[in-house]
Parts: sequence; structure tokens; C-alpha cells
Amino acid sequence: MSKIRKLICYQCQRELELKKTDFTYLGHSFFTEVPRCPECGQVFISEELVKNRISEVEMQLEDK
Amino acid sequence: MDDRNVLYKTWSVCPVCMKRVAAERVQVGAEVFLRKTCKEHGTYQTVIWRGLIDMREWIGDADKTALGNPQCPDGCGLCHDHLQKTCCVLLNVTNCCNLSCRFCLAGNRNGSDDPTIHEIRESLSKFIEKGKTLVQLSGGEPTMRDDLPEIIKAAKEAGAKYVQLNSNGIRLGDDKEYMRALSEAGLSFVFMQFDGTEDSIYENLRDRPLLEKKRKAIENCSAYNIGVTLVPTIVRDVNMYNIGEILRFAISGMPDIRGVHFQPVAYIGRIPENPKDNERITLDELICEIARQTDGIIKTDDLLPSACDHPLCGFHGDFLVDQNKLVPLLKRGKSERKCCCGSSAAEKNREFVARRWLRPPVHPIGEGSRCGDVRDMEVFLNRIKFYGFTVTAMAFQDAGNVDFSRLRNCSLHVYDKGRFVPFCAYYLSGWSP
Repeated sequence: MSKIRKLICYQCQRELELKKTDFTYLGHSFFTEVPRCPECGQVFISEELVKNRISEVEMQLEDK
Repeated sequence: MDDRNVLYKTWSVCPVCMKRVAAERVQVGAEVFLRKTCKEHGTYQTVIWRGLIDMREWIGDADKTALGNPQCPDGCGLCHDHLQKTCCVLLNVTNCCNLSCRFCLAGNRNGSDDPTIHEIRESLSKFIEKGKTLVQLSGGEPTMRDDLPEIIKAAKEAGAKYVQLNSNGIRLGDDKEYMRALSEAGLSFVFMQFDGTEDSIYENLRDRPLLEKKRKAIENCSAYNIGVTLVPTIVRDVNMYNIGEILRFAISGMPDIRGVHFQPVAYIGRIPENPKDNERITLDELICEIARQTDGIIKTDDLLPSACDHPLCGFHGDFLVDQNKLVPLLKRGKSERKCCCGSSAAEKNREFVARRWLRPPVHPIGEGSRCGDVRDMEVFLNRIKFYGFTVTAMAFQDAGNVDFSRLRNCSLHVYDKGRFVPFCAYYLSGWSP
């Protein structure tokens, strides 16, 4: 996240704000802070977040 | 017997002469039996399921045609009819032991023909796939060998990814320098015989009180960052009542203790006498006891049938410890059932093992506290490394209940004289008439 300075929602032209956001996978719910448009609610999921935390959470939850 | 219902036709052996005989899984009322007839020694029937969980749902489509190789299992090594690849390789490094247990699967063997370190090196070089293989060092009691650190080092040098030690823990507790040497040699984790939380249990099964030795072994493993999985042999009249306490002991001992691996007693090797059906503990019964004795902290559907072996051979559950409660990460019927023996899936299984059974390095800020909201991804990922907890079981087969459909699905293989042999085929032994 440190590389992201300012993100603008393409649709609303509003600056995204860090907000606690829920994720669900295999019946488990988690939250973390991700940039979200205060207008339309769309979130930006960075590649860094996907490749690190999200994929690690998925791996921990999957059956062997 | 009017309500008898044949569920599946398979093959087994006569428990006396050990000749191959046709067998059936037969439902009588709620229970399921393995029934077989030897022309010479008569009919044998052994309970294999109590009907507490739906057996057909539990097995799913795991049963293939049971006939297979007519030489099965005498002709093992693995043949073209074997259905699973090797997940773990077990190597016996000694037949010597410092205990004389009532039940011992290796009890009919003696220490005179232990392999030399040279022979062990040779075996390791033949079966280890560099960067992949999980080797289980077993016996006898492997710690009877002073050169065990050398064996572990040899396994690592040959390219083993993980080296597991199957041990009763006595020397691990008594000899901290030895423990240090094992750790420095590259030991990954220990499967430690742990039959209960009371000395009377050890006096009954192992002929001496051992609880303090076990505690000390766990302490010494922890000192050198070696994870311990507790392995209780469950015998109905001895320690079945103690299942809940064993689990509570394990949870309170995390992160040093990584899980509990239950083994309902099998009647192979040295046994006090031939078993009666009311002494046997079936997998569904074990699952229900775990749920009952943990007051529902572990629920029956938190435990899933083995996909790596036949479903009648074991189960596994994966949990996160959250302030002395267990959060199940898997749910029967909801988590996808996968075999772990395919080429990429084998890697997945090994990483699952590494995630749960390896003791993580000491955390710089204090071992991933048990506090904090585990729904927070950061908290979850920090916690799971230290407080991921497995509850698993393996039901070994004996001359009474051996079922070739199960044998053909076995992924735990003993390496001996150039052959891979399914664990239960390797140790199978006959009963007195």
C-alpha cells in the first residue's frame, strides 16, 4: 500500500479513502482496510494485497 | 440376520492362515461389519462402523473395484493396481525399543537386523526426491540409535524436504544434548506417543508411568523449536474416556504442541489377545467421542474423511485456537474434498503439513498472542502460524478388518529393500486360532 499515493474513482471522480472492508472465502469472513470510493463504494484491491495477504489467507483456509 | 445388507464386495485375508479371501461389508442394523470366510478356518466378522455417521456419505466414491492384483498384498511393492502415490515414506531405522508395550505394531520384530548407517544412507538416496519427500523415521524406537542425528543429516543431505521422527519421547525428555543434536541435524517435527494425561494410562499400556517424561520431551523439543504432534493409541477400556483431556492438554500446550493424531488400537504385531467387537473403536465412534468429550468445541462435521488414503483409514480437522476456543477452518460437506496425491496436490499436502506441524520460529514480539479479532486478516495470519491446530486420525488395519480397497488407496508407504509397501500390508500379522 505504501506505493499508492492517491487513487481517484473513475466513475465518481472522488478520491478513495481507506475503509475497513469485509471479505468472504469458503464460509469465513475477514476484514482489512482497502481504498474505497466514498460515493459509490467501489473498492480497489491492489496486486500487492492479492499476492500477499489474500492468497495467504486462502491457502490457510483450503483443505489439504 | 434378516436385515443384513451387503454394501460392498471386497477382499481380505483369513486372520489365521493369512490367505486371501473374498469379503463383504455387511450392514446389520446400524452397524457395518467386514465378513469373510476361510474354507479352512471358518467365518470371521469384524465391526468396522457403528452407524453414528452415514458411512456411504463418508466414503463417497473412494471405493474402486476391489479385485486388483491377485497377488495383493503379498506381492507388494506398489503395483500398477495401486491407486495412490506416495505421500510419506516411512523408514524403520531400528527394531530396538526401550519400552515393552501391551500393544505394539512392531512387536514381533527384534533388534538383531538393524540397518547400518551405510545401508540407511543407501536407502535414503534411492527413495528421496530432492526438495519433496517427507521421511518418517520409525522403529522400534528410533532414539535407541546414537547415530540418529547422523541419519537425519543424511536424509536432509539427500534432499528430504521434511524429516519426521516417530518417538515415545523418553530420550527426548531425558537427554537434552541429544535433542539439540537432532534439531541441528535438521529434524522437522516429532510425532510423539502420548496416550493420555494420567500416569495410570501409561502404566496400563506401556508398563510404567511416563507423563512426566512426555512433558519433559515437549519442553526439550520446544527449546530447540521442534513442533510436537501428540499421538495417542486409543484403547476402549484404558484411555477412551481421556480423549477430551488429551485435546485440552494439547491446546494448552500450543504452540509447542501442533496437534493430536489419534490412532484407535489395531490388532497387529504384539497384542494381548484376539479382539472382540465390543473392544474395537471405529472411526465414526472416535469422531463422536471427540465431539462429546470436548463439549461440542469440536463438532463431528469439523472432521473430514481422508482423501489422501481411503476414507475408512482416517480423518482430519484443521482449527485456529482463539482464546481457548477452536475455530474450525474446514467443514464436512462444505470444504471441497481433494486428493493430495496428484503431482501439484502432493506439494500442497506437504505445505499443509509444514504449515501446521512445524513449530514456527519464536516471534519477535511474543508468539502471536491469543488475543485480538481473528477476523482481521493481519491478526489471523499472525495467529494461524502459531495457533493453527490439527486433529487427525489414522485407523490402521489388522488381520480382522483388512480391506484391499483400503490397502489400494494407501499413501503411507514403508520403504524396505527397494520396495514401497503400504503401511498396513507391511505390518499385517496373523492371529492365533
